[in-house]
Amino acid sequence: MKKKLLILLFLTIPYSLIPNPSLAVPMDSSRFKIESANVEIAGGNKSSTSYKLADTVGQLAAGQYSSTGYVVKAGFQYLHSIIPFRFSISDINIAFGTLVPSTPSTATTNLTVYFGGAGQYQVTAIEEGPLKTQSLNVIPDTSCDGGANTCNESLAKVWSSSSAYGFGYGMSGNDIPADFIDGTYYRPFPDRTSAESPATVMTSINVGKNRSSTVTFKTNISSIQPAGSYQTIINFVATPSY
Amino acid sequence: MKLKNILLTILFLAIPYSLIPNPSHAQQVSLSLSPPLLELFIKPGKAIMVAYKLDNLGDPTFLNLKVLPFEAKDNLGNIRIKPEFEGPVRFSLDNADLTLDQPFFLKTNDSQQILLRIRIPENITDGDYYYSLLAETIPPTSSEGIGSARAKATIGSNILVTISNSGNIDIKPKIALFSTRGRLFDSSDKIPVVLTVVNKGKNMMKPEGQISLKGNFGETIKYDIISKNILAESERMIEATPSAIIDCENLRTEQKCLFPTSLILSGFFIGKYNLSTEIRFGENSPTIFGSTIFYAFPFKIMSGIILASLIIVFIVSRHSREDGNPD
Repeated sequence: MKKKLLILLFLTIPYSLIPNPSLAVPMDSSRFKIESANVEIAGGNKSSTSYKLADTVGQLAAGQYSSTGYVVKAGFQYLHSIIPFRFSISDINIAFGTLVPSTPSTATTNLTVYFGGAGQYQVTAIEEGPLKTQSLNVIPDTSCDGGANTCNESLAKVWSSSSAYGFGYGMSGNDIPADFIDGTYYRPFPDRTSAESPATVMTSINVGKNRSSTVTFKTNISSIQPAGSYQTIINFVATPSY
Repeated sequence: MKLKNILLTILFLAIPYSLIPNPSHAQQVSLSLSPPLLELFIKPGKAIMVAYKLDNLGDPTFLNLKVLPFEAKDNLGNIRIKPEFEGPVRFSLDNADLTLDQPFFLKTNDSQQILLRIRIPENITDGDYYYSLLAETIPPTSSEGIGSARAKATIGSNILVTISNSGNIDIKPKIALFSTRGRLFDSSDKIPVVLTVVNKGKNMMKPEGQISLKGNFGETIKYDIISKNILAESERMIEATPSAIIDCENLRTEQKCLFPTSLILSGFFIGKYNLSTEIRFGENSPTIFGSTIFYAFPFKIMSGIILASLIIVFIVSRHSREDGNPD
């Protein structure tokens, strides 16, 4: 029995006893000066009048050329794809209809990104001000259910209470932030008029050719919300990486 | 009398639009912009013209073109577009009928060639400047009487400009992190590797090289590094061609999907493994190295064997006791 216990003990050696062998060895000097000819940009031709072209297979307008005083590379040289970068929004009119106090209204639209190969991309979102009328009555941005479920521009939380008022969005689908756990999780949009930074709503370091997500816009008003036509603009910006 | 009849007819034909219900219909936006990236190495005082192609694959729309600077947002290749233009680089359009910040109309399935002129004034300090060419839709007019949001779609293409009068480029690469997430793994685990390179120089750089995995018996596997740009004075997680991919679509909240990785190693590992990397940035440029180790043992299999053995020992000993006790 003692032997068995010893064997068991031996097999369950705590992880912490094994040393952490991180051995990154930087071998840089305090300052490197590299001739442009050596940085794979056809730099040796910087002053020549010759013309070079190194197409990336299948990419539209991709190529590299050099001429007097400049070198240009177009497209991702490591991608071999005929699929250009493309961004779609299925419906740009997000109508909530007539808002009824304490009855949440939702509307959805789909975002789709097409990009070939291992293309990396991001889609960000920002509102051009809160939902408001021309007379400047405002539906404030949501803070979700409040308490432990207080959300912000970078953290989604549960918003299911009919007495929690505001305007926000939830997400489902491909490449969305991990904090949108299910359909009850929402965030407020960052507000450009408050100098807030856009929120990343889709991103991937290795995207396929048809990445799609659904944005669910939600608003809920109280009984004292003044009547009127509440409007705002949400700007979705899709950019490839560098 | 005749005039009165004509007026009545016009009035009848011009029934106010407000009486006709406003049908809400989906308006789709779908834009494509190529090339998605432009890298320009240029001397002060020079100018070039680059042709872009903008396709409208959705409903007809008004579009606006603008150029804004950006910076690296994180070490994953994401960007933060600045709200206002800055920097010495000058942009304009060579199109006869287009200018920046002036809306134009693009029909469905129509294309617009954008002739972007990039000009570098004289006497500009050497350095890197990063911009995005942005094509944004003009949102539709709002529907009165209801609560609504309108979406504006913007698609971008990044422009990386390196200005160098002498042709020299200043890069300072250094490995900031080369590690597996954890040191001890089960033999059947997928092992995540993270490699982050920092560039403290004033110009962007493009890494090339491999991550090598060496086992107990000297067996070696090499994974090529994907050559993505690392901007000046920034860092970026470098990726290598993977041996495995974790499907995170349905596992988004799992630990292994919460953190991005450079490479995921897949296989049946036993013992000590050495991981090393060698990264180059072009001929005669500095080469940087990094190494780390990890251990893998068949814990799950051994746990199963031990548990099965304990159960067998328990059953056998109990059976023996029952055999020895005639009561």
